[in-house]
Amino acid sequence: MKMAMEVEEGSAAESEENDKTGENKTYGDDEGDQKPDPVHRVPRKRPQRIRVGLESDSDEEVSKSRKNRANQKSKEEGGEDGEDEEKGGKKGRGKNDKKNDKKGKKEKANKKKKDKKKSALLAMLLLRTCRLPRQVATDACMDRIVKSLSDCKHWMCEMDTVMHHSITPEKRVTMAIMKVATLTNLCFIGNQFSVDPCTAGMVICEVCQVLQDIIANSLICLHNPRQVIEGCKAMDSLSGSDSDSEEEPITEEELAKLKEEVEEKKKLIATLRNKPWKMKKKLAVLKEAQLFVEKFEGALGKGKGKKFYAYKVMMMKKWLKFQRDFENFKTACIPWEFKIKEIESHFGSSVASYFIFLRWMYGVNMILFGLSFGLVMIPEALMGKPYGTLPRKTVPRAEEANAMNFATLWDFSGFAQYSVLFYGYYDNKRTIGWLKFRMPLSYFLVGVGTIGYSFMVVIRTMAKNAHDDGGGDDTSFNFSWKMFTSWDYLIGNPETADNKFASITTSFKEAIVEEQESRKEENIHLTRFLRVLANFFAFCTLAGSGYLIYFVVRRSQQFALEGMDNLGWWERNEVNMVMSLLGMFCPTLFDVISSLENYHPRIALRWQLGRIFALFLGNLYTFIIALMDDINLKLEEEKIVRYNMTIWEASLYNGTIPENATAPPIQVDPADVPRGPCWETMVGQEFVRLTVSDTVTTYITILIGDFLRAVFVRFFNYCWCWDLEYGFPSYSEFDISGNVLGLIFNQGMIWMGSFYAPCLPAINIFRLHTSMYLQCWAVMCCNVPQERVFKASRSNNFYMAMLLFILFLSTLPVVYTVVSIPPSFDCGPFSGKTRMYEVIGETLEHDFPSWFAKVFGYASNPGLILPFILLMVYVHLGIYYLNATSKSYKEANLELKKKLQMVNILQGEQ
Amino acid sequence: MVSPAIALAFIPFIVTLLIRYRHYFLLFYRAVLLRWLRDHATGISREERAFQYVLTHAIPGDPQHILETFDHWANHREYLSNIGPQKGKILDRLIYENTPLTVLELGTYCGYATILMAQGLPMGARLYTVEMDPRNAAVAEKVIRLAGFDEDTVELIVGPSEEVIPQLKEKHGLLKADFIFMDHWKRCYLRDLQLLEDHNLLAEGATVLADNVIFPGAPHFLQYVKTCGKYQSKTHRTSLQYFRAIPDGMAELTYTGLH
Repeated sequence: MKMAMEVEEGSAAESEENDKTGENKTYGDDEGDQKPDPVHRVPRKRPQRIRVGLESDSDEEVSKSRKNRANQKSKEEGGEDGEDEEKGGKKGRGKNDKKNDKKGKKEKANKKKKDKKKSALLAMLLLRTCRLPRQVATDACMDRIVKSLSDCKHWMCEMDTVMHHSITPEKRVTMAIMKVATLTNLCFIGNQFSVDPCTAGMVICEVCQVLQDIIANSLICLHNPRQVIEGCKAMDSLSGSDSDSEEEPITEEELAKLKEEVEEKKKLIATLRNKPWKMKKKLAVLKEAQLFVEKFEGALGKGKGKKFYAYKVMMMKKWLKFQRDFENFKTACIPWEFKIKEIESHFGSSVASYFIFLRWMYGVNMILFGLSFGLVMIPEALMGKPYGTLPRKTVPRAEEANAMNFATLWDFSGFAQYSVLFYGYYDNKRTIGWLKFRMPLSYFLVGVGTIGYSFMVVIRTMAKNAHDDGGGDDTSFNFSWKMFTSWDYLIGNPETADNKFASITTSFKEAIVEEQESRKEENIHLTRFLRVLANFFAFCTLAGSGYLIYFVVRRSQQFALEGMDNLGWWERNEVNMVMSLLGMFCPTLFDVISSLENYHPRIALRWQLGRIFALFLGNLYTFIIALMDDINLKLEEEKIVRYNMTIWEASLYNGTIPENATAPPIQVDPADVPRGPCWETMVGQEFVRLTVSDTVTTYITILIGDFLRAVFVRFFNYCWCWDLEYGFPSYSEFDISGNVLGLIFNQGMIWMGSFYAPCLPAINIFRLHTSMYLQCWAVMCCNVPQERVFKASRSNNFYMAMLLFILFLSTLPVVYTVVSIPPSFDCGPFSGKTRMYEVIGETLEHDFPSWFAKVFGYASNPGLILPFILLMVYVHLGIYYLNATSKSYKEANLELKKKLQMVNILQGEQ
Repeated sequence: MVSPAIALAFIPFIVTLLIRYRHYFLLFYRAVLLRWLRDHATGISREERAFQYVLTHAIPGDPQHILETFDHWANHREYLSNIGPQKGKILDRLIYENTPLTVLELGTYCGYATILMAQGLPMGARLYTVEMDPRNAAVAEKVIRLAGFDEDTVELIVGPSEEVIPQLKEKHGLLKADFIFMDHWKRCYLRDLQLLEDHNLLAEGATVLADNVIFPGAPHFLQYVKTCGKYQSKTHRTSLQYFRAIPDGMAELTYTGLH
């Protein structure tokens, strides 16, 4: 029976081709052969040889390692099997040889050689991984090893029946490694953490199951099996050294051995001077020996004493535990961390990147909210004049009747319009309350501060992220690293284990996609042509929709001139309808077009983002055009109102006390005073309305597009004529690009509008908060992961760049209105001034010493100073950015140095 | 009245739909519209037309050539819903590997898969094939005989599968089937599989191959197979017959019995 094993490998390989095929042929001999010639079948069989080589070697290994156990029976069985197969194989081979011509033989021989090499490699690998620490070599574990090896064999047989694609040797190696890896891991866990090996085994088996599925769908590919093996070796040596240093329970035997070693080292230290070595070597040896003695002396109960040593160890352990707990606590304090982790584990990092971005945005908005709420709204509400004292703080008589109706409030007019929520409510007194709070100045500075802070934060984050882009992790042993190191052995909770399981699988899928992408061979000219074509189509679509928007906006302006009264509903809402329809359908069209380009999904996402971004710019354009038109109308109206005001005041005086020139103040109810249109409040209202309606639309889209669709697909699948889940409607995927852009443009609206509606950050906070919960729920409940799960680049700098661009764009209209349009004469903190920024001059004049104001006055020719300030700001930001980047590069350098050292150490050990 | 601008805004949507589902539109045209038109023009059914073409163009007694003729007709004339060359290879390979002695086919249709399986069977093996529609069965009978398989090798049973399966043992002497190929109504897959289990017709280690589990789809069947624990299942992902761009799959189950 040992003989059967020791037959030359090639023939063994031939022999075990497949029991079935062997049977087949004998069968055919008996009954008369009707099948097509076996030349056909030779290539099909080829890959199996490797497996066989592996099998025989591993069997040998197992039998060696099981010498101490009574295993005669199983051995004999194995031997008999081998013999049987040998017979069958001889028959089969004889036949093959007969029918093959010479050329075929040559080829076969070559292949055999190659396969032999590979099988030898594999055997080496198996030997290596089967060499287990001695504590493990208990009966139960040995059983397990044998079983999983046989499983491995079995499973590979199964794999061979996947016939419409051949299995490459590389894949086979990976499969073997995966199988064996579970085994070592199993022992490792059982050993190190005294977990019941059975439960640990189950968890890992589950992971493996999924991995098998991945491979079964022919996804895996590796550059070079040798690489994997090298990786395994490295891992093996690493884990070996780790376990050596961490060994806790010391057996008698080991203790004795250790004692001996310590003694030896001590002797060495004593006699080092007499050695005929170089000084350098002497020093090194001395250092090593001293370290060793110091480390193990305590454990042996000698030297400084066992008690102190034990105390030190205990404190060390406590400290480590505390550190770990503290880390846990810190992660628990990050809002939504667990939700996002859960999503990441199921949907991959690309979807998670959206949620991380959302959370970041929430943080930024928190600051904006704090600024506007604490420095503008609260002081005005507490210290300013109460409601009803001034015309600007009162609802006009005409609107009083339905000022509290829900429809009016929902539209942010009525009482909402005449409250701290909007610009118009604020008083233009220089100071308010007993604190002498400088309201207009504060209002202006908060407006500037909001935008300045946003610039700072965006750029800082970009700089910080730049680091992550540069120093990527080494990709050499990607798969084996993932395989051996991804499981977290400290997980105790089944749900967490589930999540970890899912996340390992997704990370594997991601890695495989990357690998595939990097190995793709393609016709470059065709791809280029297709990409150009796709871009042409996308450009056509963009141009078409741009023209459509332009056309509709022109038309609506024309309508507005003619008067809105004689128009139908369609004409009045034409712009909105067209905008939202284009916003809904164009992204899907881009999606279809981008399938032409055949990019890696991560790059495809960027293109998609860029295209939709361009589309949404049209949106912004229409909105701003419409607003500017409105502002101009209101300004004209204001002129008329102002003129009428003088007449009204005159009539007031004339009617009551015509002869008295020094008129005493006349008491008129503030609600009755005629007032200007206050364009600032109008702008603020527009932005608030837009934000609210946008939020509502988003939520309704989620509810209908995702939730109802999922419900429909799920429950109607029982009674439908095709498979709804696999087929046409299916579940929706999470739309990363759309959601990210929605968030970015919404933030642009906030930046533009918050100057005229201080309540806007508050509304946005509410929106972000609810949408965090709603979207987390919707993703987990009604979406499916993308077909190709991909790894997002760790930094989301692309998002940040778009955000920066939008921030820049949205600053422009605000700056334009502040600098060039006079504020309304009867509402808001700046009423009575010709321009809003005059607040600064006023403050300088009143609150600073006169010389300061004078100096400043010379310098502050507005035409000169504004560009100068802007320039300074940008230069500073640039310097800041560069500074931060250089810092991150320094860190990366340090990291790389450390890695180099590590590599050196490893090499030295080997 | 809706303004033209709003109507124009729908263009991207329509273009998207057209591009994304173009293969399905084509399939609809070829499998439904064209069939209906030709049926009216010629007055005979599609299967008979196919048979006439095969009769005039194929070499009698050469199964491979008959299959190729079918493929040619389905590719160039009209769509035909037999399993096609691509999935045929999988079926062929499976038959080779398993060398079953008794094969049961549910859904003969034109006899394409029957010929394919029969030519790969070992000597003495027997193939039972069940067809519900008598007109299709008539065509299939002629096709099978044309390919040169006699009553001993291939037995055609006409009748709905839920009636035929219970009688298989008594009437037709089928005790255990080693290989089962399902390609009839997708909604009947689950019912028939359970019927086969109930009547104890599945041999230990028997292979069940179910066609079209993804495109028209048999969700309940797949769900049952994955959860009941009696089978080891594997899905071969390929494409629909004669339409490379429409994904489809075949489910291969190995019956392991209850243990």
